[in-house]
Amino acid sequence: MMDIILQQVLNAISLGGIYALLALGLAVVFSIVGLINFAHGELMTVAGYVLFLGVLFALPLPFAVLLAIGAAALAAVLTERLAFRPMRKADATSLLLTSFAVSAILRVLFQNGISARPKPVPLPSALSGTVNLGPVHLGAVPLASIVVTVLSLVTLNLFLKRTTMGQAMRAAAEDFQVLRLMGIKANRVIAVAFGLSGALAGISAVLWVAQRGSVDPLMGFIPVLKAFVAAVIGGLGSLPGAVAGGFVLGISEVLFQAFLPEAALPFRDAFVLSVVIAILIWRPEGLIPAKTARRS
Amino acid sequence: MLTVTDLSVRYGQIEALRGLGLSVTKGSVTVLLGSNGAGKSSTLNAITGLAQPRGRIEFEGVRIDGVAPEDIVRKGIALCPEGRRVFPSLSVAENLHLGGAVHARGEALAARVEAELARFPILRERFHQKAGLLSGGEQQMLAIARALMSAPRLLLLDEPSLGLAPKVVDQVFDLILSLRDQGITILLVEQNAERALEIADRGYVLQSGEMVLSGTGKELAESDLIRQAYLAG
Repeated sequence: MMDIILQQVLNAISLGGIYALLALGLAVVFSIVGLINFAHGELMTVAGYVLFLGVLFALPLPFAVLLAIGAAALAAVLTERLAFRPMRKADATSLLLTSFAVSAILRVLFQNGISARPKPVPLPSALSGTVNLGPVHLGAVPLASIVVTVLSLVTLNLFLKRTTMGQAMRAAAEDFQVLRLMGIKANRVIAVAFGLSGALAGISAVLWVAQRGSVDPLMGFIPVLKAFVAAVIGGLGSLPGAVAGGFVLGISEVLFQAFLPEAALPFRDAFVLSVVIAILIWRPEGLIPAKTARRS
Repeated sequence: MLTVTDLSVRYGQIEALRGLGLSVTKGSVTVLLGSNGAGKSSTLNAITGLAQPRGRIEFEGVRIDGVAPEDIVRKGIALCPEGRRVFPSLSVAENLHLGGAVHARGEALAARVEAELARFPILRERFHQKAGLLSGGEQQMLAIARALMSAPRLLLLDEPSLGLAPKVVDQVFDLILSLRDQGITILLVEQNAERALEIADRGYVLQSGEMVLSGTGKELAESDLIRQAYLAG
């Protein structure tokens, strides 16, 4: 019994972590360019397929993982350069529609270029087993996933606090015009924001695939939809909010799944969304509202 | 040092500035006066590249109209914007750091920060606090210090005395004079005409986007237009 409860708590935190990383990726871009990037899910898919190819060609796993994360970051920078930069002066709705278009184009590329069916990504047996902590046996993947999430959050925080580019990104979220007056190139800050958001999508994708064992062209859709909900309950454009929202959403999903009576299980999402609605009634601006959520 | 010829700025249908000409002499304090919406900020926005102007702007003999804001500051022009606009959730240290980040690195950057802290001792006390928690006067000092971090030869100040207590306003005007004495040329936009003209070598008066009067600070302070419109008698 102890095992089960602990395992569920672990699952909850690990799913929350994935949502948190995805929501952070959305928030980083939104806070700086005011774009809700619905192509974020396809960045996950890019990472998923690169991981699939890496495993297929028997690359060492750490290398395949880094390659997958790098590919998602690169894809994010490319979509910015090719699709979003030309639309820089456009209003929020046009940007949103652009992101739908990018998302649709990428999805068709995956479906026609690779396969519409899921591709298995067999991971080494060490990851599918359990870790024994004394009398307690815990899944290796959720544990690893929590470690990766924590490391990513710590690294991101150091980057935002300690580096000039990180400080510039926080400043850009508050007043982009003034940042440009300081001589800091707008295009570079935006490109780094997209790259960072892509890398976060890539990390989430690796964790996602590790738990499910396969990739398909639509794999990014559901998690990013959840991440969007997480970003909203956290406070759209707020980075700490995105993390908080991600954990709240992931944890409530898993706990409802684990502890609802069986008859109520089909309505799990209704319970989760009730939590979301309750949070938004309690705090309409989100758990940790952004300082400024306006466009540059 | 700075020559502006036949400058116009439009925002959509609205013509904010029409055919402005002005020049700023090296080592001087030049003042731009006018009521709200007269085109003062548009002039500064055009010089710093934030607005897309028609006309000609020359700085140290080089055309700079149409150049991006990121590049204008590299040429030696810094703007301290209206309303201070410090980055509120960043610390004083981070605000200063960003002000100088593209102009100096490592020890040179640290030396610039140190120089500004020596100039504004209050910022040393507040060094690790969030800028948003500073008082209005302290934020104004931070905004000026941040602009100075780029070591500009021309400093544009947009209403630096706005909303500040009289004592702090005195500090700001003393500071402007001391910056001029250190060789920084100043273009000052002000609503406080009386104080501004006291320290101005030259002044221009804008009305509804057009220049209506110019002269030395003394000439303007004695002109009928200024006396009626700004100095209340």
